[in-house]
Amino acid sequence: MDVFGSFALLLAFVCAAYALVGGIVAIRTRHALLVKSARQAGIATCALIFLATFSLVYLFFSDSYWVAYVVTQSNRSLPTFYKIAALWSGQAGSLLFWSFLLSIYVFSVLLTYRNKNGELMPYVGVVMAGVQIFFLTLNNFVASPFKVLAAPGANGALDIFTRADGNGLNPLLQYPEMVIHPPNLYSGYTGFTIPFAFALGALLARYPGEKWIHLTRRWTMIAWCFQTVGILLGAHWAYAVLGWGGYWGWDPVENASLLPWLTGTAFLHSVMMQEKRGMMKVWNVWLVFVTFMLCILGTMLTRSGVVSSVHAFAQSSIGNWFLGFLILILVVCLAAYAKNRDYLKSENQLDSMISRESSFLFNNLILLVSCVAVLSGTLFPVFSEWLSGSRISVGKPFFDKVNIPLGLILLFLTGVGPLLAWRKTSTDSLKRNFGWPLVTGLMTGAIFFALGLREFYSLLCLILCVFVASTIGMEFFRGAKVIRARSGASLMTSAVDLTMRNTRRYGGYIVHMGMVLIFVGLSGAAFNKDVQKEMRPGSVAKIGRYDLLLQSVDSKPEPNYTSERLIVEVTKNSKPLMMLYPERRFFPANQESGTMVAIYSTLREDLYVVYAGRSPDNNEVPVVHAYLNPLVKWIWLGGVVVVLGTIVTLLPNRRAVLALSGAQQPAVAPSLSPSLQPQVTLREGHD
Amino acid sequence: MTSRRLSAFFQLTCLAALLALPAAAQVDRAKQIGGKFMCMCGCNQVLTQCNHVGCTVSTAMLKELDQRLARGESENVITQAFVQKFGTQVYAEPPKSGLSLVAWSLPTVYLIVGTALVIFVIWRWRARQHLQAAPVDAPAGMSPDTLDDVRRRVARETED
Repeated sequence: MDVFGSFALLLAFVCAAYALVGGIVAIRTRHALLVKSARQAGIATCALIFLATFSLVYLFFSDSYWVAYVVTQSNRSLPTFYKIAALWSGQAGSLLFWSFLLSIYVFSVLLTYRNKNGELMPYVGVVMAGVQIFFLTLNNFVASPFKVLAAPGANGALDIFTRADGNGLNPLLQYPEMVIHPPNLYSGYTGFTIPFAFALGALLARYPGEKWIHLTRRWTMIAWCFQTVGILLGAHWAYAVLGWGGYWGWDPVENASLLPWLTGTAFLHSVMMQEKRGMMKVWNVWLVFVTFMLCILGTMLTRSGVVSSVHAFAQSSIGNWFLGFLILILVVCLAAYAKNRDYLKSENQLDSMISRESSFLFNNLILLVSCVAVLSGTLFPVFSEWLSGSRISVGKPFFDKVNIPLGLILLFLTGVGPLLAWRKTSTDSLKRNFGWPLVTGLMTGAIFFALGLREFYSLLCLILCVFVASTIGMEFFRGAKVIRARSGASLMTSAVDLTMRNTRRYGGYIVHMGMVLIFVGLSGAAFNKDVQKEMRPGSVAKIGRYDLLLQSVDSKPEPNYTSERLIVEVTKNSKPLMMLYPERRFFPANQESGTMVAIYSTLREDLYVVYAGRSPDNNEVPVVHAYLNPLVKWIWLGGVVVVLGTIVTLLPNRRAVLALSGAQQPAVAPSLSPSLQPQVTLREGHD
Repeated sequence: MTSRRLSAFFQLTCLAALLALPAAAQVDRAKQIGGKFMCMCGCNQVLTQCNHVGCTVSTAMLKELDQRLARGESENVITQAFVQKFGTQVYAEPPKSGLSLVAWSLPTVYLIVGTALVIFVIWRWRARQHLQAAPVDAPAGMSPDTLDDVRRRVARETED
């Protein structure tokens, strides 16, 4: 199977090369058959990558311990569940996984548009093939996951040998979320290839109008949603597994995942200015380019060892390949822009400072400033070492100080932006839309202040959260009230109807509401408490309203690890509440240990208990580290709401569906006024 | 309980409180100062937050911090000692001096330059709008094509 996988990868490389070269020749000669053959080569590339990936998965399931990658990432007692996760747990496998996910996107795009957009698709195909070639080069010639274990035999030739068992999977990765977190994050990274390919393709083809934006909107939303989910799952994994009581440590690898998310978010907003007003064409194209480049940069940072990180793969020379690819992308983008920049001429005009357009400009400004600040902070240790010879660390306190104010400005704009009108907002409209939300926000602030909340940023964050939630709530309420007056349905049914009539707008509001919930959760971090105590059975630790009584310590052998567990009885205000079981696990295959945190989570706070090991003094008494983290659950709830909102934005408008189905009936079509026909088409594209 | 016992109990309680207060204060100070250092095990986490199983580096660093605080050393002295021992990498946030000042100033520079740029862009686009403003009165004999164009534009701009 390893030979089959290797061969499939090699053949995929050849097919991708054909898709690239054949595609370029087809564009130059406008030869229809050549265009078709380049597309078919693109589809074949994807099919071959699927086969190679399934070969590697099969090698894991069949315990093929003559394949080096399988030996380093798995062992016989590893649960089936984690044998799938082993696919992306190491350098070579994760790069194949990159290629695999990219292939899913490329395959879907090539099939979806096989008979559409004939002028644009050959260019898009060429760009996608170019990206695939880079990753297939790594898969085939730099970090092959199909290398076998070999040693010189008696006759001097290399003989393949098989190990009895593997080294096992990194204990930190043996957690259910690790099976879904990397696929989500990688789907985000790879997904941004599609808008990049369309943007570069449209620029190279001088494809008229905003059509490439309409075509890529859903792809961008999907990639963005995966990136969001991936980031939040990563945060939850860090919270539940690493055992340091937090969910975001501004680690370079975490930062790397945030960078394309920030520029991607900026793009999703600024693209509306191009759709509605024909503005910002240059900016949007470059935002897509930069987002894709940041995806590659993020992948490079994770793998090159340039920056130290707890998540990073071992230091290797692979970073040079990524750097070369990054430079190549930049050169191609600059050349395409220099050659065809007149194609991006925009109708940039602004009627008023107080308008939706202005708010989007400021929204983009804050997102970009945050992105550049995080990037420069992440790379500063490297630069400081180059310049002064000593590496200066830039850790969590720095990133918190820089990004908290920026995040709050962004939160404010989240409330303000969507309610400003395009072109110009009147003073009356400002009063109508923002009067009550402002009052509600300030009143909430006064109440929290009176209750003793003195932490400035947390107080401001809660005021802004209430303000934004009120503006969104009022938007739904106003719209639903109008529908209710017409239909007589309940307010809730009317709100659902309203959402389904303009999924993009109201789905966007739901996403914003999800972000508000996330910010509520973040505001709680200022009030975290913790206590660490050496505890013998029978002793009690107190934190907030909770008493933790250590009842006993037990040990449980599992097939893949041995667990040492604390049995902790929790009482709240002196009343029995529940039992918690924080664990330490020892994995004999790789001689490593890991923690399993016990969490009692409510909307108000998380009681987070870590078995932090034995006392360093006597190596006997268990050490318990307990944290009380307020409002953390709101972050995960916010994530769910963001995903729901994104799904809503991807749905077609209900009215558009009805109009289209009506238009298909011969009896209805002639009755439509000719001047209304374009509107039906327009709505189809603008859902 | 006799008055003698009561007095002894009171004295013991006061002694315990006196001993406990500095200890609690020292724990808080250790947390506060430890939050300004990185754990040097390579985990890239703040010293007080490193909770890697079996991390001997953070344990030793925290122990040294406790000992220095118990000796009554100031934050400045402790910081100097840690920097001397581990290098500038031990800072959790760059010091606000020398080259590190660049790290602190960059975000502010980005924000100021970016805001200036956005304001300039808005000013330029508004000026362009004034120059290209169309006549307010709509032409009476507008062609159906033009009317359709206008309708499309209005629909597009008022949809969201």
